[in-house]
Amino acid sequence: MPANTRARARKNVLTERRTPWGSIAFFTVVGLIAVAAVTVAFVRSRPSDAGKGIAGLVVKDDLSQNHTTGPVTYRDSPPMGGDHDPTWQNCDARIYTAPLRNENAVHALEHGAVWITYRPGLAAAQVDALARRIRAVDYSLMSPYPNLDAPIALTAWGRQLKLTDANDPRVDAFLSAFVKGPQTPEPGAPCTGGKDAP
Amino acid sequence: MTARRVTVVLAALLVAVVAVLPALRSGAAGPDGPEAGFARDMSTHHAQAVRMAMTVRDRTRDDAVRTLAYDIATTQSQQIGMMTAWLDRWGAPKTDPRGPMRWMSHEGHAGGAQAMPGMATPAQLAALERASGRDAEVLFLRLMIVHHRAGVEMARAVLARTGDAQVQRLARTMVRGQEAEIALMTGMLRQRGG
Repeated sequence: MPANTRARARKNVLTERRTPWGSIAFFTVVGLIAVAAVTVAFVRSRPSDAGKGIAGLVVKDDLSQNHTTGPVTYRDSPPMGGDHDPTWQNCDARIYTAPLRNENAVHALEHGAVWITYRPGLAAAQVDALARRIRAVDYSLMSPYPNLDAPIALTAWGRQLKLTDANDPRVDAFLSAFVKGPQTPEPGAPCTGGKDAP
Repeated sequence: MTARRVTVVLAALLVAVVAVLPALRSGAAGPDGPEAGFARDMSTHHAQAVRMAMTVRDRTRDDAVRTLAYDIATTQSQQIGMMTAWLDRWGAPKTDPRGPMRWMSHEGHAGGAQAMPGMATPAQLAALERASGRDAEVLFLRLMIVHHRAGVEMARAVLARTGDAQVQRLARTMVRGQEAEIALMTGMLRQRGG
C-alpha cells in the first residue's frame, strides 16, 4: 500500500461518522433530568390557581369595599361583595340559625370567610352536612337565606357557587380554595370581635 | 478535544444540579405535610388567644394583666401572619374541610376547633366577656394557661415531624415563649388567689 493511501485510510478512520451512542445517551439523560427538575420546580413554585376547575363557579372582580352604616343594594343574592357595614359578622366557624344582615356578612367575606347560605326548609340532613363542614373550618359562617334561588349557595368575596346537594364534593373544593383565599381583600383581618348575633 | 468535552459535561451537570436544587429544597415542606397542618391549626389556636387577650383588656384595669394580654395579642397576631405567609408560599389551602389536627393524630376531628387541645369553649368565652375586674383576670389566666400548654404541645409535635428550618425556628420560639408565659401566669394566678 502506497504511503499516501495509508495516510488517507487513517484520516478516513478519524473523520468517519461513527454514531457516538455513548455521548448521545449521556447527554439525553442529563437533558431529561434538567427538564424534569425545571418542570418540578416550576409546578411547585406556581401559586395554586384557586378554585380553577370548580364547575359552575361565578367570579366577580372589582367589587367596591367602602364602609357605610346605611343599607346597601346588592346586585347578587346572596351578595358576593361590595360596600358594607363597618362591623363584620363573626365568622369563627359559626352557625347562625336566623338570617343575617347582608351588610355585616359581606364584611366577613372581606376578611376571608366563606359564607354558606341555604334556602329555609332545606332537609335537616342537608343542613347537618353543611354544619359539619362549618364546625371544621375557621373563617366560615352559615345562615338561612330567604328567597335563595338555589337550595345552597357558597359565597366568598367575588366568588359564588350554587348547589343542590350538601354532599357535593365541590363544597370542600370551594372551602379549600377560598377560606382566607387569594381573593381576600383584607388578609389577616379577624373573624371574632365583630357582630355576634344575626 | 477531550478537555472541551469534559467542560461541556461538567457544565451540563452544573445546570442539572442548579435546576434540581430548588425542587429539593421546596420539598422540605409542602401543601399536604405536617408543616401545613401545623400552620393552619396553630393559626386557629392563636386566633382564639388573641381574642381572649383583647377581651380581658376590655374587662380589667389591672396593668400586669393588660400588659401580658397586649404581649400575647400582638405576638400571636404576628405569628399568624408568618404562618399564613408560609401557606401562601407553599400554595397550600388555609383550611382543611376534613377537620383540624389530622397532622398530629392522622385522623380527622369532626368536632372542629373544639377538638383542638386547649381551646376555650364558647361558654367559657362568653363567661370571660361577662366577667370584670379580678374575676375576669382569674378566668383569663386559667384559660390562657391551658391554652398555652396545648400550644406548646402542638409546637413540640411539629418539631418532631419537620426538617424545615423556618418552621423549626418559629416552633422553638413558641415552646420557649409560651412556657415562660405559663410560669408568669401561674404566679399571677396565685397572687390573685386563683
